[in-house]
Amino acid sequence: MTQHHPDSHSLMEFSAGNLSDPHALCIRLHLDECPHCRSRVDTLDSLGAVLMDEQPGAGVADDAFDRLMSRIDAGTPEPQPKPAPRGNPLQRLLGEDLNLLPWKRQLADVSVLDISHLFPGQPEKVVLQKLAAGGKAPAHTHRGLETTIVLQGAFTDHKGVFNQWDFVVLDEHDEHRPVALEGDDCITLSVLSAPLKLTGTFTRLLNPFIR
Amino acid sequence: MMTSTRAKTATTGDRNVSTPNPGSNRTEGRKDPWSQLLDKVGKQQDREAYRALFQHFAPQIKYYAMANGLAGQAEELVQEVFVSIWRRSCLYDWRKAAASTWIFTIARNQRIDMLRKMQRSRAEMTVDTEDLWQIPGDDENEPVTSLHRLMSERRIRDSLKHLPEEQITVIAKVYMENKSHQIVADELNIPLGTVKSRVRLALNKLKVILQDQNA
Ligand SMILES: [Zn+2]
Repeated sequence: MTQHHPDSHSLMEFSAGNLSDPHALCIRLHLDECPHCRSRVDTLDSLGAVLMDEQPGAGVADDAFDRLMSRIDAGTPEPQPKPAPRGNPLQRLLGEDLNLLPWKRQLADVSVLDISHLFPGQPEKVVLQKLAAGGKAPAHTHRGLETTIVLQGAFTDHKGVFNQWDFVVLDEHDEHRPVALEGDDCITLSVLSAPLKLTGTFTRLLNPFIR
Repeated sequence: MMTSTRAKTATTGDRNVSTPNPGSNRTEGRKDPWSQLLDKVGKQQDREAYRALFQHFAPQIKYYAMANGLAGQAEELVQEVFVSIWRRSCLYDWRKAAASTWIFTIARNQRIDMLRKMQRSRAEMTVDTEDLWQIPGDDENEPVTSLHRLMSERRIRDSLKHLPEEQITVIAKVYMENKSHQIVADELNIPLGTVKSRVRLALNKLKVILQDQNA
């Protein structure tokens, strides 16, 4: 059971459909595993429905319904349930086992994989990061907002323990030094609105954030 | 562009919910009229029910498109949404969502999809719109959640009437004009913090926030 949830502003932006694709993906991955937030988004969707109903409305063309019916009659009219797709949306993009991806090792404990190209036309940087089980990441702060979801394993920093599907948003005020828990390698998905800067001694780190 | 809308009362009618109805079974009675119609479309491909849904929801969806800068594609969005409603109606389960909520999410997803197709660079995206925006999970085995979902729309409609105008304006811009909190702040010429606190107050009243330490 996840302990760290997206705040209600993010859930509202999700429900309203206002998020960029990478941000929506982070929320969606969390919702997949969090009944608590699913129920909040359901309520928010109802809010959207009520607001839509409260609008004045705009008259549609006279022949709109007839056009609709002829389109339905011409097409495949049999409503058919789609089979539920396997895995989560990220696994459908990248394959089932994230450990097998072509990771780029940066430090003894740290590997990264930039997947921004999967989201063409979006301004954010989208990065997978892997911290070896028990490994330490260099201390760093964040320039701009960084939204992170834990996909595998767990890490801890001064703010607490972040387990699988936990959701965390960091900004330039958050300096932290994540340490992966023992057991599995910790894999996270991060969406960065701006490059991150290093504060420790690892200034030469070849890292997608400072490229 | 947003007109104030608080006064318009529910035309979706929750009559069946509150009126004692000894003749029919209790679960049937929880269904609002739109959900009953959508149920008929799903189960019997009932065209009259479908037409009634169209007459009620098509103008809403068209307005939604226009408020979103899709004025030129508003009729097209209505068509896309209704084709989708027809095709998916067999998946509709009134115990999980009121018809209006279900239709809202389809309209939202189709709008996102349409915008995406209009932006060439985004059109090449490998991930489906549905994959990102459709609510996952099938909480049939969570009766509390089901009941919660059913009641929430009614409760929201009631509490919305009691919200201050300034809070409604903000959430309506977020939902109907699809503006981020930051853009709403810029437009209303108020700090981002004020927008957030108005949203927070509104969501508190609407009981969207249950226990939200981050909000
Ligand atoms: Zn959650």
